[in-house]
Amino acid sequence: MIRRFLTPLVLIAAAVFFIAPQVAAQSSVPMTNEHMERIKDNCQQANRTLRQLHASDALLRVNRGQLYDLLSTKLMARMNSRLALNRLDASNLVAVTANFDRTLGEFRTNYKVYEEQLSATIKIDCQEKPAQFYDAVRESRELRSKVHESVRKLTEYLMEYDRQFKDFRSRYSASKSGGES
Amino acid sequence: MSEEQPGSEVGRFSKHKFIIMITVSIVIALGLTFISMVLYAWSGAAQVDLSRPGYQSVRKEAMSNEKYDGFSATGSIENKVLQEFEDMYGKQADQVLGIDAFAGDVLSDTTLKIDDPATTP
Repeated sequence: MIRRFLTPLVLIAAAVFFIAPQVAAQSSVPMTNEHMERIKDNCQQANRTLRQLHASDALLRVNRGQLYDLLSTKLMARMNSRLALNRLDASNLVAVTANFDRTLGEFRTNYKVYEEQLSATIKIDCQEKPAQFYDAVRESRELRSKVHESVRKLTEYLMEYDRQFKDFRSRYSASKSGGES
Repeated sequence: MSEEQPGSEVGRFSKHKFIIMITVSIVIALGLTFISMVLYAWSGAAQVDLSRPGYQSVRKEAMSNEKYDGFSATGSIENKVLQEFEDMYGKQADQVLGIDAFAGDVLSDTTLKIDDPATTP
């Protein structure tokens, strides 16, 4: 009895694993033949550009990641800790640091997703599958813009921390000179 | 009716125990390798691993992991200390603020020359 259902089950599984990806691979936007020919003509150059971008973005990710990590753990967190130990109000600085750390996590996640998509895009044979390649590039572009958005937020938090620190410092200096007079 | 001798299975096992041990070791090693690769990909370590193939051209340009002591988390607070922190923070932050990373249209259709000829002016 089991064997009676085995063949249809195998056929259904084959349909899911083999046919469905092919359907999904077709471009969501209808492409003209001229467009596909243009992609095929510039396929090698586009692929080369993507590989160079993949490497340069990896380097940028590593260097930036190190800097963000250093700023967060060896500067911001330590200053917050030292202020707290001296019983000074650092709540604004702590809040900005928390936002920075959360956004740093988002940056790492967004970059991971982007890199995986870009790697998958590079592996597509754009001569054989120009429509799929085009869609994959579009997806990579959107994901890269999300990474850029994370970088923009991190920059804002860094500037905000600087502003809050300068504000704290001026209040501290004023209170010190007021106390001494 | 023949009775199975309880010792026969144990005997079979002890005959092939060396092969069983090798097989189990290989299965465990493969399993642990698989888990390591899954963690390597899932944790994001793969994205920052410049030893991967394809990253040879940029490997040397990575910032060296020199020891950076940073700011001390303990000690008193004085104007001199606050100034010291501001200088340290400014020096590191300037490296980040100077460049708008991951910006630009490097992945645009025009840059990659995969745009639709019908819409290109």
